[in-house]
Parts: sequence; structure tokens; C-alpha cells
Amino acid sequence: MNVQPVMLPQGWEARWDAAAGATIYVDQATGHSQWEVPTRPSFPSNNPSVSPPAPTGPAAAAVAHHGKRRQYPTAQMAEVYGGPAQQQAQQPAYGAPGFQQPQQAGYPGQEQPAQPQLFTPGMEQQQPAFQQPAYPQQGGVDQVTGQFQNLNVGAQGYGGGAQQQPGYGQQAYAEPKQLHPVNTVNLIGMQPDVRGLDAAPPQALLPSNASVTNSAFIYPDPSYQRCTLASMPTTQSLLNKSKLPLALVMAPYRSYRESDGDEPVPVVSDSVIARCRRCRVYINPFVTFTEGGNRWKCCMCGLSNEVPQLFDWDSRENKPADRWARKELNHSVVEFIAPTEYMVRPPQPPVYCFVIDVSQAAIQNGMVATAARAILESLDNIPNEDKRTKVAFIAVSTSLHFFSLPAGANAESSMLVVSDLADVFLPKPVDLLVNLTESRPAIENLLGKLSDMFQNTHTVGNALGSALQAAHELIGKIGGKIIALSASLPTIGTGALKARDDPKLLGTSKESSLLQAASSFYKTFAIECSKSQVSVDMFLFSSQYTDVATLSCLPRYTSGQTYLYPGFNASRSEEAIKFATEFGKVLATPVGLEAVIRVRASRGIRMSAFHGNFFIRSTDLLALPVLPLDQNYVIELQLEEDLKQPFVVLQTAVLHTTCYGERRIRVITQALPTTDSIAQLYASADQVAITSFLTNKAVEKCMSGSSLDDARNLVTNRLSDMLQVYKNQVAGSAGASAQLAIPANLSLLPLLACGLVKHVGLREGATIPPDLRAYAQDLLTTLPCQSLVPYIHARFYSLHNMPAEAGTIGEHGVILPPALNLTSERLERHGLFLIEDGQNIFLWVGQEAVPRLVQDVFDLPSYAELTGGKFTMPVLDNPFNQRVNAIIAKTRELRRGVYRPYLYVVKSDAEPALRSWALSLLIEDRMDHMSSYAQYLTRVKNKINGGS
Amino acid sequence: MGGEGWLFLFAVIMAAVLLFTMVFFVSLDTGGAKPDPATRRVADGQIIMFSDLECDYINPIDLCNKLNQFVLPEMIAHAFLTLLFLLSGQWLAFLLNAPLVGYNVNKIMGKNHMYDATEIFRTLSGHKKESFIKLGFFLVSFFYYLYRMILALISAESD
Repeated sequence: MNVQPVMLPQGWEARWDAAAGATIYVDQATGHSQWEVPTRPSFPSNNPSVSPPAPTGPAAAAVAHHGKRRQYPTAQMAEVYGGPAQQQAQQPAYGAPGFQQPQQAGYPGQEQPAQPQLFTPGMEQQQPAFQQPAYPQQGGVDQVTGQFQNLNVGAQGYGGGAQQQPGYGQQAYAEPKQLHPVNTVNLIGMQPDVRGLDAAPPQALLPSNASVTNSAFIYPDPSYQRCTLASMPTTQSLLNKSKLPLALVMAPYRSYRESDGDEPVPVVSDSVIARCRRCRVYINPFVTFTEGGNRWKCCMCGLSNEVPQLFDWDSRENKPADRWARKELNHSVVEFIAPTEYMVRPPQPPVYCFVIDVSQAAIQNGMVATAARAILESLDNIPNEDKRTKVAFIAVSTSLHFFSLPAGANAESSMLVVSDLADVFLPKPVDLLVNLTESRPAIENLLGKLSDMFQNTHTVGNALGSALQAAHELIGKIGGKIIALSASLPTIGTGALKARDDPKLLGTSKESSLLQAASSFYKTFAIECSKSQVSVDMFLFSSQYTDVATLSCLPRYTSGQTYLYPGFNASRSEEAIKFATEFGKVLATPVGLEAVIRVRASRGIRMSAFHGNFFIRSTDLLALPVLPLDQNYVIELQLEEDLKQPFVVLQTAVLHTTCYGERRIRVITQALPTTDSIAQLYASADQVAITSFLTNKAVEKCMSGSSLDDARNLVTNRLSDMLQVYKNQVAGSAGASAQLAIPANLSLLPLLACGLVKHVGLREGATIPPDLRAYAQDLLTTLPCQSLVPYIHARFYSLHNMPAEAGTIGEHGVILPPALNLTSERLERHGLFLIEDGQNIFLWVGQEAVPRLVQDVFDLPSYAELTGGKFTMPVLDNPFNQRVNAIIAKTRELRRGVYRPYLYVVKSDAEPALRSWALSLLIEDRMDHMSSYAQYLTRVKNKINGGS
Repeated sequence: MGGEGWLFLFAVIMAAVLLFTMVFFVSLDTGGAKPDPATRRVADGQIIMFSDLECDYINPIDLCNKLNQFVLPEMIAHAFLTLLFLLSGQWLAFLLNAPLVGYNVNKIMGKNHMYDATEIFRTLSGHKKESFIKLGFFLVSFFYYLYRMILALISAESD
């Protein structure tokens, strides 16, 4: 794999470490190696202040827990813990020879990386304790100091070997505060290193006494929750001065995929839920125990609370349990099983109501038949573990068709038609909403003949609004999910819409009016749905304008999702497969019901704005009737008071009912250290989270009526503001400069910002249909970071000359070729390339592709025989075809979410529309009147130089 | 008492009514920290709504339903008063009120005069600012009408 030299200082060398899957930087003079990009030239003797960043104690502990994860090079290890000289000076004082032996014997393995931390002043008094296994019964408790005393006394009598852990907290007083390395890089003239897009965000450098258990799992996985800044500014004025956004980016109910190495969420099943009396925060690894362990001090408001009686009791075995082994004290992401106090009513069953458009358009493009078959095939996958799931079907054209589905083995379905659209009523009190298991024969019977029933229909018109009202009437008492499938614009009944896509508006400042809701019905109805715990998913199929902007309001405020299949026709198998796959996955999703999300934070921090698909029920309570998997939420934070504590805690709690009838609370706790230095804020900024924030802000701007131009300017202005502050305050170069300084951890932010302003959702131009724009904006605000980054900055691989191992099965599944920069300079006339953004895959075939290549991949004699467009890859018996197929399959399952991208074959000299669509993903290039990445950077630079 | 006196007496009453609607809309900003509900209830009396929303006493749906009942009557009352000034030739008073009427008409034309429960939290600060400005405006006009009413009464006396 090639390694791009990223402006290394003199004396450093970058090497690709295949085992770790990352670039390693080696100081050629000393042999010292590190992961971070070095900033200073190599000197034989490293000045301590220049020394590479020190991983924190817990981070080092994490290394031990995840054997497979990175191993710190030994040279750095020594430096982290004070350097060899210091160690030698201290060791004799502790009588070292006899010290480490018993320690290792007593507490084998896991704590080893933390051991060097013991060499700190102030630890002598505890030393005897480590030499004797009978630690808890020690009489010398009074010797030890302050906090340790409390913890130690608290730990008495609980048995087990974990008591030593609190002791580790002690030494932070002697330890200097951990800092993020401040590495400035220049952007102008540099090719961005796209591999950095997958890098982990900067780690929060907590003081090592932050958590009571010193567990390795106190940092939530960034896929659950990440903050735009890994260190919290102490004051709002500092935050304002830095121009950095402060927001939480989270997907608390993200899917669990073993293939990604996801750890299952630990479940606290004994329903002992300790919460602060005042701020209602759930007990977490960052609290402290006082008064002999009988009370705990809240980490947010400082209130002292009683520890619940059964906190140290194992109710299953009926014996005392080890408090330090409790999951909520060891893990940042836990799930509590909630007792009845957390229920407004008994857990409701999952309910699905299908509203299917059966007008002529829907029958003709095969949507009804495909949908019916997909539902039929998914009946076994719909969450129904306890056989309580209920379903209902409503078919809608110019009138509403209800289906009576009686229970019983040989029951047949029957249809009831209601043509009164103004005042919707249910034709029958029973048998419309039925138990999936009991009425299974009737349901299968209905789905089998649904398409044929309306085969000869010629009705044009769609009373979707009225049908949705009827569905709400039907399931509103229980709550659940309405899945609406519509192939035409709703034109009659309540919520009728007009085709308002005036092509003259496109490309003007009025264009954003097409992205706002045309009818208030879909908003007010959404509120009603949210009240009665009903969520709506929209599947839209029209080949004409369907007003996605208005219809998507309903999913937006009811925590649903919009899916768009423009120009759908089931006779094209790719389209049928895509829809059936995604629809099947949506149905099989183990949804959470009746959910609320609340974020709590240390005193002084306030949630100021919320972005995502939900309804804001009060200042900080987000209501989600159905909790979908893998949806992203962005929550902006403000500081109301100065933060004086060394670290702050942010806790997200998601209360929901699982689809098998259990009330659960998922709690995600994240601690962030505070800092009063702008340089540290910049060094700890997370470029992906900031991109997610900017995306949401830009889309919000569009939807609140500003023009698309304003939305794009918002992104560029925020970016140039940040870079300007960085240049003046951190890099320290006032005045005009030919360079564009940026911290290394934000080096891809300008590329992502450039991708964002050139994205379909925000792009300049008069050719993008408003439906596609509105849909793209929906995706931009709901995709989790993992899918959002490729959606903005596509992945680009060269297949014809990929390395030998690419496309074969490696240690982590199929190995992908190295990602390329998104510029058409990389496209070769004889090559085969793959561009994918998570929604579409483009297979680019150069016009001089050799017949052999075309034969191997597509099973066609020559390039001329190949036609562009949607394509299904043939599976052939040759290694190259199999590798390409493996890469495409891997690309399809790479990311969380239900989306199954289309595969397009793009010929480099035909189908100009498809070709320019594929090329529009190459965002580093100039396109039409959109600037290239280099031009974009120059624009930002001029803005900064002009403004300072 | 002449026509002018009656007109301004009516204007004073109207201004007072509008003033109270605004007080109902807005509230004294409590300044961040959530106060104890009990003490706040006593302290503010009827001054509620927007800050109640900030303090979680009311949900956005109820808030918008309640407030939307008053939006149009308030605008109509104000427009009616302005019309009276126009008809009775009170040019200064008319010019004072005309901008607000124009603003209200513009809002109705743009169909954004109603409070939207889905957007309320995003637009809350804007709504509050607007209500405060209107409150100040009605307060000033209240005293102006009072002054004009007294002037009219005195001139009627002296005749």
C-alpha cells in the first residue's frame, strides 16, 4: 500500500503498518516510532515538551483489553510515564525489586499497562497494601489521603480484587494535565489524504482519576456519540472566540453489527437504577462514592445521594455482589431494564399499518405487486417474538379500501370501501387491525391477491392524506408505525397537494421555497401522530413530482424516514430488488417504541438546539414514537456558566419499549475534560462531527426559508471563521499569508465542506429536481456519521490495477483497494473504477478498456457492447470478476442502515447525464460553475486574508 | 366630551387590552436557571406562556393552540383601532400604528402568523423578541392615547 508523505519534518519517515492498519511515523535518528504525525524535526534527544502526546491511563488500559488494538511502541511508552531517567530516580525510593512481583501475582494481566503510573509521589503510603492480598481488611486506612480514603472505606467488605482500582485515581494529582498535540499543517498545494476520513476522532484526555473503576469502557464508541470538541471550553466567551461549534452528534440506537466488531450493549437486569435526586442523572463511571460507600456524589450537580440498598446485592444468586463489577460503573453505554415506574402504560405491542397506493400509477409501475410480495416474504421477520404484533392494511386511490382479516386457519380477507374522504371513519370496529400470528392465513391471502384486485383500475388520484388519517384512527389508541407507499402526488381528500415544481424557480433564490412544506396538514397531522405514539415511514415511487419536501415532514416529526425511488419500475429487476431489500430490512428492524430521548449535562451546559427526526416535546425532551435504528441526531450545546471542574459529563438517556415488550433505558455517558486554551480546543476538534453539525445547520437554513446560496455560505463562512481564528490565535501568523494553516485533526474539514456545498442537497445549479434535493437533504440530516462521510465525500477505487490482495478475504473480511482522491485526474482511459457514496455505486469503464477486461468483468466481448445504466453484475468463473463482485458486495454491506445502493455502469463516452452524475461525485474537480477543491481553498484563504 | 375624547378613551382601553395580551404572550425572562415552580407561579401571576414553555410547564402543542386563538383577534383589534384613527383624521396616531399593521398584514400574506409547534423551540427567541417590542410599543401608545384623551377632555372643558 502506498504511503503518502504528509509533509513530514526532517528526519521522520512514514511507514505503513499492515498489522495495525495505520501509518506509523519513525524517527530515523532515534528509532522512536509513534502514530501521530510528527511536528518537529527529529533530534537525537527529544525535549520533553516536544515529546509525542501521552495516551492517558485509561487509554493505555484499553490497549490491554483489546489485544488486537494498537500497541504502543516501547520508546513512547517510557516517555509517557515520565521517561527512563525519572523512573530510575524513583524506583529505589519504593524498594522496587520487591514491589512489582507481588503486585503482578495478585492482579495478573489486565492492569499491567497502568503499572508505571504507580511511580508517582504520594503513593508510598499505599504501598504496603499492594504487597498484602488482605487489602480490604487493612488497618492502615487512616494513613491514606482524602479521596482515596473515602473510596477505600467504601470498598471495604465487598471482597474481590477490584478495590485497587480506585487507588489508581490518586496519582492524577501528581500527573501533569494531558494535552492534545497541536500540529499545524498547510492545506494549499497539498493533496488531502482521504484515508484520514475513517480515522477515529481525537480521544477525550480525561484525568486518570475521572472514573471510579478505571475501566477501559468509559469512552463511548464514536458511533454512539461524539462531540465536536473532545475538550470542553471553560466559558462561552472562549467558545465564541474560537468560532468552533459545540454540539453532540449521536446515534444512540445504532445497529449492532458483529462484523464491525461491535460490543453488545451491557444490560443491567436487576432494575436497581440509581439516579441523582436533583438532576435525575443515572449513576455512571464518573461519580464518586463518599461516606464509606453509602452515598454517591453526582458528577453533574454535586448532590450527595444514597446508594440504593440492593446496589451491592446479586438478586439472582441472593448474595452480596461486587460493586466495582457493576456494569453501569464500568461502561459508558449501558442499558437498564426499567421497572414499572418508567411506564405510562403496559408495554404496547408493535403495530404496523400499511397504507398502499393502488391508483393506476402504482399498479402500472409494479409497486403494489413488489410491495405485497416483500411484505409477504418479511412476515416472518417482522418483530413478533411474543406473538403480539398487530398489522392492518389500507389501500387507497380515490377511495379508501379497508381489509377485514378475521382470525382462523381458512379465513379469507374481505374488502370494505369507504369513499367519504372528508370525514374519515372506520367501516368496522373489529378485524381491521389484527394479530399477525392469529390472522396469518387471511393476511397471506390478501397479500397474494392485492395486486390482482386492482389490476384493471383506471382511477387516477390519491387520497393519501385521508388514508393516513384513517390509519391513525385505526392504530392511534395503541401507537405504532404507519408505512405509507405512494406512487403519485396526493391530489384529493385531506392534505391534497399541487404540482408546484416550477422549473423557472430552479437555480434562483426562490428555489428553497420548493423545499419547504406546501401544506400545513402534514405538520399538524405529524403532531397528532407524535401525541398518540404513531410514526410514519414514507416510501415514494413517483416518476413525476411528488413533493417530497412536504410529505417528508410527516416522517421528520414522527421519527420516521423517507425513502425515494424516483421513476420506479418493477420490471427492471435492479429497482425491484433495491426496493424489496430495503423495505424488507425496514420491516425487520427491531424498533423501539414510545421512546423519549433526554440529554443531561453538568451544571452550566445547556442544550440549545436539536436537529434530527423527532418532535421536541419540551425544552430538552425529544419524543420519538418509534425509535429507528441508525438515525443521527445533532444537539447544540451552550455554556451558561463558567465550568470550573476538571471535566464535565454529558449523558444521553433513551427510554423506550423494545419490540418484545420490555421497557429499557439506554444510557450513554460521555466525559470531556475542560480546557481554557484555544489551541487545545482546536487540537481536540472532531472534523466528522463538525461536518455533521454544519450539514444540519445548512439544511435547517434552507428549510427555514433562506436561499440555498445562504446555506452554502453558512458552511463556507463557518469554515473560514474557524481557520481565521486558528491562524491568528494558534498558529500565530497575523496578516496575509500564502498558506492556509489548519490543525492536523481538521485537515479534511475543508474537503468535507467543499463536498457539502457541492452535494446534491445544496449544490448550485438549475437542473436538480426539487424532489431529489429534498430527499438528499433528508438523508444529510438523518444518516449517521459513518454513512454521512461517504455520502458527502464518495469512495473512489481503481479496480483495473488494484493490489493483488484487494477483493480477497482478509482478516477483517474482504479487503478493499486503497481509496483514491476524488479527482478525474485518476481516471484512466483504459481503466475500471468504482465510485460509491452509500446510495449509488458507479462502475466507471474507460473507453479504451481492453476487451479482456470487459470480458472478464461483464462477460461481454468488447466495450462497444456494454450499455450504461443500472446493472447487475454477472458472477463469472474468473478471479478478477470474483474480486470485483466481492468488492461490490463489501461496499454494499459496509455501512449501517437499510440502503442497498444501485450499481450503475458508466461508460466514459456515452450517456452524458449518467456520466456527469458520476463525475459530480468527484468533488475535487471543477464542475460547471462549481469551484474545484483548490479554488475553494483559495476562496477560503482570500476570505481569511481579507478579513484579518 | 367630544368625539376625540371618546376615540382616545376607546384607544386607551384597546391599548390596555393589547398590552395584556402581550404580557400573556411574553414573560419576564427568568434568566437561565429553572426556578422553583411554586415560587415562580406566585411571582409572575398571569405572566406565562413563552417562559412557561422554557421551563417545561406547558408542552409546545398546547402552547401553540392557546396562542393561536389570540393571534388573529389581536391583529384585527389593532387594525380596527388604526382604521378609526384614519377615519377620524388623527394622522399622527395613524402613522404611529400603520407600520405595525403593515407588518401584520405581511405576516398573514406569508402565512407565517400562526405559531408552529414543530418549529417553536427554534424560533422561540425570535417570538420573544417580537412580543417584547410589541409590548413596549403598546405601552408607549397607551400613554400617548391617555395624554391625548386628557388633552381632549381639557379642551372640551374649556369650551
